[in-house]
Amino acid sequence: MPAGARYLNARVVRNEDARLLTGRALFVDDVQLPGMLHVAFVRSEYAHGRITSVDVSAARQRPGVAAVYTAEDLGAYLKPGPILVSPPPIPGLVFHPCTQLPLAKDKVRHVGEPIAMIVAESRYVAEDALRDVSVDIDPIDAIVDLEKGLAPGAPLIHEHLQSNAAAHVVQRKGDYAGVRGSADLIVRRRFLYDRGVSAAMENRAVAVQWNARAEELTIWDTTQAPIPIRNGLAQMLGLLESQVNVIAPFVGGGFGPKIMMFYPEELLLPWAAMRLNRSLKWTEDRQENFYATTQERGQVHDAEMALTKDGRILGVHDVFLFDTGAYDPYGLTIPINTQCTLLGPYDIPHYESEFTAVFTNKTIVTPVRGAGRQHGVFVSERLLDLAARELGVDRVEIRKRNLLGPDRFPVNHEIMFQDSAPLIYDSGDYLPTLEQAAEMIGYDAFVRDEQPKLRAAGRHVGIGVACYVEGTGIGPYEGARVTVEPSGKVRCATGVGTQGQGHFTVFAQLVADALGVDVEHVKVVTGDTREFHWGTGTFASRGAVVAGSACHAAAMAVREKILNLASAVLNVPKEQLELADGRVFVAVEPDRGLSLGELSAKANPLRGAVRPGTEPGLESTAYFGPDRGSTASGVHAMILEVDAETATVEIKRYLVVHDCGTIINPMLVEGQIHGGVAHGIGNAFYEQLVYDEQGQLLNASFMDYLIPTATDVPSIETAHRETPSPYNPMGLKGVGEAGCIPTGALFAQAVEDALAGSGVEITEIPLSPNRLFELIERAKEGRT
Amino acid sequence: MILNGTFTFNGPRAKVWELLQDPAVLAKALPGTKSLTKVGENSYEGVMKVSVGPMSAAEFAVNVELKDQVPPERFVMHVDGKGGVGFTKGTATIELLEIKDQAGPVTVMNYSSDMQIGGKIAAVGQRLLESVGKMMTKQALDALNAELKARL
Amino acid sequence: MKPAAFEYFRPRSVDEALSLLAEHDGDAKPLAGGQSLIPAMNFRLATPSVLVDLNGIPELGYIKDDADGLRIGGMTRQRQIERSPLISSKAPLMAETMPHIAHVAIRNRGTIGGSVAHADPAAELPALMVALNAELEISSTQGKRSVPASEFFLGLFTTAVQPGELLTEIRIPLAAERSGSAFLEISRRHGDFALVGVVAVVRLDAQGLCADARIALLSVGDRPMLAEQAIAVLKGQRPSAELIRAAADAAAGGDIDPSSDIHASARYRRQLANVLTRRVLERAFERARSA
Repeated sequence: MPAGARYLNARVVRNEDARLLTGRALFVDDVQLPGMLHVAFVRSEYAHGRITSVDVSAARQRPGVAAVYTAEDLGAYLKPGPILVSPPPIPGLVFHPCTQLPLAKDKVRHVGEPIAMIVAESRYVAEDALRDVSVDIDPIDAIVDLEKGLAPGAPLIHEHLQSNAAAHVVQRKGDYAGVRGSADLIVRRRFLYDRGVSAAMENRAVAVQWNARAEELTIWDTTQAPIPIRNGLAQMLGLLESQVNVIAPFVGGGFGPKIMMFYPEELLLPWAAMRLNRSLKWTEDRQENFYATTQERGQVHDAEMALTKDGRILGVHDVFLFDTGAYDPYGLTIPINTQCTLLGPYDIPHYESEFTAVFTNKTIVTPVRGAGRQHGVFVSERLLDLAARELGVDRVEIRKRNLLGPDRFPVNHEIMFQDSAPLIYDSGDYLPTLEQAAEMIGYDAFVRDEQPKLRAAGRHVGIGVACYVEGTGIGPYEGARVTVEPSGKVRCATGVGTQGQGHFTVFAQLVADALGVDVEHVKVVTGDTREFHWGTGTFASRGAVVAGSACHAAAMAVREKILNLASAVLNVPKEQLELADGRVFVAVEPDRGLSLGELSAKANPLRGAVRPGTEPGLESTAYFGPDRGSTASGVHAMILEVDAETATVEIKRYLVVHDCGTIINPMLVEGQIHGGVAHGIGNAFYEQLVYDEQGQLLNASFMDYLIPTATDVPSIETAHRETPSPYNPMGLKGVGEAGCIPTGALFAQAVEDALAGSGVEITEIPLSPNRLFELIERAKEGRT
Repeated sequence: MILNGTFTFNGPRAKVWELLQDPAVLAKALPGTKSLTKVGENSYEGVMKVSVGPMSAAEFAVNVELKDQVPPERFVMHVDGKGGVGFTKGTATIELLEIKDQAGPVTVMNYSSDMQIGGKIAAVGQRLLESVGKMMTKQALDALNAELKARL
Repeated sequence: MKPAAFEYFRPRSVDEALSLLAEHDGDAKPLAGGQSLIPAMNFRLATPSVLVDLNGIPELGYIKDDADGLRIGGMTRQRQIERSPLISSKAPLMAETMPHIAHVAIRNRGTIGGSVAHADPAAELPALMVALNAELEISSTQGKRSVPASEFFLGLFTTAVQPGELLTEIRIPLAAERSGSAFLEISRRHGDFALVGVVAVVRLDAQGLCADARIALLSVGDRPMLAEQAIAVLKGQRPSAELIRAAADAAAGGDIDPSSDIHASARYRRQLANVLTRRVLERAFERARSA
């Protein structure tokens, strides 16, 4: 970045907020097209069963209904969806790919699976027509529990397989079995960690326009990955990629499930639009979202940690089950993340991790913010806490004794990460982060002085500190095109989508600094394949790192063009030139220069050829693809109070010390952390998808699926540290998921500390007051 | 949903058993029954409209089968109901004991039922399902008891 | 989540509303704040064929006082009650309870008559009516009648209001001398349906003994439960810490019939009922002593 970069580490107010806050932004449901029809889906009420008949004749007769489609009507288009992420090449890996049909045929495997699509003049009429469709399903016993799903004789969800196991993977480092015998202490427990929905403010939506005369298909879609959608749909529909435009306009939150590409609705609406030669729209309602949009679910871990009597970790052995839902299109990203993130910032020389992915009769599981990392962190942090208690070592002290030192980087953990590259920590400095967090929360003084006083007064106040490491910014690549227009304004187009992260500001900051313009004069365009069609999407905390680096690279290339051309125009060597305030000028004679707009006009001459080796205009396209991800890390700390009579919990303080490398906009980083912590608090204490034994979701609304509100989330104190990543020119690391990764572990630790001496041990998340009450009562009974 | 309980009928067991086997009586007693007809030796078909406050849309097509009958002591009832707002499927075990009371014979009914509820009402009605189940059970048993007294 | 089709009427007077309800006997629902009815209709759990919108009848919204107490029109918005100086000064228990009802946005539209007539067992206003022993005025095409709160709530979502009738006025008696009151509830999040709530009014006699008590609990049965056993423990006795504990035990043990749901087991609800009854009584008696 050029010297004097005024927007690096700057708290720039967001370019996009005025439009968003005044309702002037375009979301998919705002798309209105002439003659547009509306879609609703008949969905399975049963979690598992054989479809014996589907009768849509009455629905087709209803006035206002344009068409009703079932699996029978799709012909050759009825194909299982693609596998979106192939499992990495881990030796011995077993993976059974089973993906969903766009409309169910023969069998249903989760409540909410779409069986028929109704196209009508309004959503009201489409929903009226749902009642006209008669579906007969012979129920089969549903698989809801992971261990029961693997038991012999359990009904098979995918009948061509021998069992309900979707995958089996073992990763090893060192020799745990060999070192176990020499341990002074082995701590072993069963851990349960359940997750939830992403609960984005905007549900999914798809609007489609088929222009038969131009032979062009335009799709507005709340996707996090417009480019792969365009490419995949073009192929499936027999069109050229360039005949398909996919636009992800403003999207109200993604968090993962909107990346799960090729949802039935995404596949069916374009197909039907072409057949009917009408525009179509489908907007998911909140209740549908609980069934039809992917979620992340539970894992069951049987884990042990071997330590010396000083609390030094010799090794960890973890065997776990992972719930993948009814199908497994997203491969094994989540459980592999769990395997990798368990290692944390600690020096764990021997590690064996084995998991079995299990099909269940529930909604498909794909990554939700954190994507399996929280499960790994929960296991290692809890084992350390329990070890600390048994060894009589302080919880912060035991962590310090095991942290990887700064001299160890890059750290090669020898196991494979989700991006098919070996897990390597590129940079980090963990001890100062832990010390800063402990100091900010006042850990020593609290444990030594304040807590004993509170306990003597009969109050149950606990403190917790939890550490984590997060792989971010993975490839494959992203690209960007930067253009200086004759008005002097700059346009930056990139392929990733935006779901509220602030890309319109963050990328603008990078470009503004490279070109010396005002950040408000940089217009960023994202998520529109008409503008940019090479790239992947927004996920895995990679937007700023990968797309940001591409924007920076493209802007720097334009900067070179500016300097070269200005040097020729002003007849001055380019080393003597400076860019600032939208102008390029001679540094020592600032009046001698021209605006970038003027220069851009000169770069596109009406007379006089563009010389060989040059291009017209001030525009450049650049791509960035890191070799591997960069490692962010952090420490969360919290103080909370438990009312032992009512088992309710109140958070008194919450803080985050975070290292995401070079920071572009600290305000947006804080926003990401606050959002992540709120999400983490939700998963730790409020959110749980409650399924009954037959796979019925019992809380498919926000009345009963509880996400924390503003009154439930405390003020979050934050501090930043920076260890720049060596894998991209600006040293950036991702931060989108960090806030929610250690929260569950932290909650468990702090609640257990508040109730120290009661015998309550917390090995499961989420907690609720009801559950905490049960644990307290059970501990009381255990002691009497 | 598990609903277990006890209810005391003011009358002899044989009479209670008779009432429980009579579809016309059941149709009057079970709240919201629009129709209930015997279609086989031990099976019934009917339509029930369950109304709870403003929630008036719950109409179910119901199949009931009586099994493992040991008159007049016990029987098992299998219920299968389907409607626009969801479905219900389950089993109830009914046991009747006669007790001699100074006022005359009374019948103590022990019931234990496990009903699976699915679809929309299960998804958004959790807060109320148990209360509704208790309420409907109470209404039905009170109505049966009133019918019993009327016949004695 | 779009509702099924329905016919819609917007009468301009109570009489017109009552005629419409009588005419469409059984098929018509009155629409007050809509905060419970409209979501049920959007879920298609409620499918009334006729809606009679009461929001065009200004004469039903008022807060007045007279010698006997306060009179509140059925369509008075909850938010208006919450912010009324008359309510704060003459019915402090009501003022204390209102902020616990859902959220401000809901209270802006929700009405007192709608909430009381809907009689959700987890709602605050029905329990408040029982604790205050309010008088509920019911109107129909046949005239008006008055029902005390103790006889108004008959079962799950069932009140003395018959189809075709409207709850048009709520009458709150004035607080007696040497009385104190308190409200407490526990919910998962601010604004949620309470897991358990307790609202109590107590009165001391000149000797400082408990002359009278009304304790109502919400979310522990199919309707607001009056804790009669707890009241029996307190009456005529000196309200010591032990007595209050005994009353709380009686309330949690015998006076309630809580159900289990995914948020709280019946057992946990009994625990909360016990703790909250104790805390509410402690606070109410303290306020009675300083009154």
